[in-house]
Amino acid sequence: MTGRLILIAMALACFGFALRRGIPTGQRALRETRDNLIRIMPMMLVAMPMATFLAELVPSDIASGWLGPDSGISGLLVASFAGGLIPGGPYASFPLVLTFLKAGAGPAQMVALITGWAVLAFHRVVMWEVPVLGFRFALVRTLSSIALPLLAGLIAEALLPLFPHLLAGR
Amino acid sequence: MLALARRHSTLLGLSVITVVAAVLVFVLKGQGAVEHAWGASIDLILGILPSMLAGMLMAGSLRQLVPTGALAKWMGAESGWKGLVIASAVGIATPGGPMAAFPMVLVLSGAGADIGCVIAFIVSWGLNGFNRILVWEVPLLGPDFALLRFISGLPMGFIAGWLSRRMPVKWAPPGDLSA
Repeated sequence: MTGRLILIAMALACFGFALRRGIPTGQRALRETRDNLIRIMPMMLVAMPMATFLAELVPSDIASGWLGPDSGISGLLVASFAGGLIPGGPYASFPLVLTFLKAGAGPAQMVALITGWAVLAFHRVVMWEVPVLGFRFALVRTLSSIALPLLAGLIAEALLPLFPHLLAGR
Repeated sequence: MLALARRHSTLLGLSVITVVAAVLVFVLKGQGAVEHAWGASIDLILGILPSMLAGMLMAGSLRQLVPTGALAKWMGAESGWKGLVIASAVGIATPGGPMAAFPMVLVLSGAGADIGCVIAFIVSWGLNGFNRILVWEVPLLGPDFALLRFISGLPMGFIAGWLSRRMPVKWAPPGDLSA
């Protein structure tokens, strides 16, 4: 797991930079880390079993067929729309994506799914965007970004040969 | 208070889904499958915990180092593509959930950012916010996938902002009586 070691090293380096600004800055960084941890840990402890139980229930042909690496444009479209329907924050979507990936879904399709979740986010439009910014904003924003999940999926498809680890994983 | 209620309702919802899924697995596939899934989730939690802690420390530290909001003066209607690039970057640098990001749209537009820039900001925040990438995406899906996803998503804030400047629908921030 070199990726994990790199992340830990980068985290310590960033914390080092914060400390160089002075002890209070370092303390604020630690306090924010702790607050994040308290907020996220309960979600994670529930979301991970959710993902693994759902993984048992998802028929593998949905992941490897409909959303498989060879599902092409239709797979990207299904993934984009399905992504927009996933409610909740990253604690819900990322464990699900992991589940799909393990069941044989294609990386580009999962890029489209995450993009759909992030930019279409039908639940967020209703819960946050319309109440805080108004219907017109939500309309302009949705119209401007409706094609982005497909586009992101196509870019990912084109970039995939540069990521041999992801191809080897299936 | 409302945010607190929302947070707990999410946890409750996740718990309900988890229990229902566990019962379904037991009924459809038997006790062995339940034990297998339970073991897999323990492995998963233990496996990503170190990365997640590192991601949180990194996000918490970066938050002290990166200022946002002061850049709105470069995000006006005349800012062209540079404004969209700056707005996308600010979106990436903005931590926190929707309770922080949507009010930030009001802050930016109040400080002079145009519709293209605030759309670029919000799309870029939703898709590529560094906080979420560090805390969730890298630990769970691995650095390779996270990088592929990040690169594929990088132009999206810019594209959405560019398109929204050409939309026939006009938007003014709530509270602006001239709208």
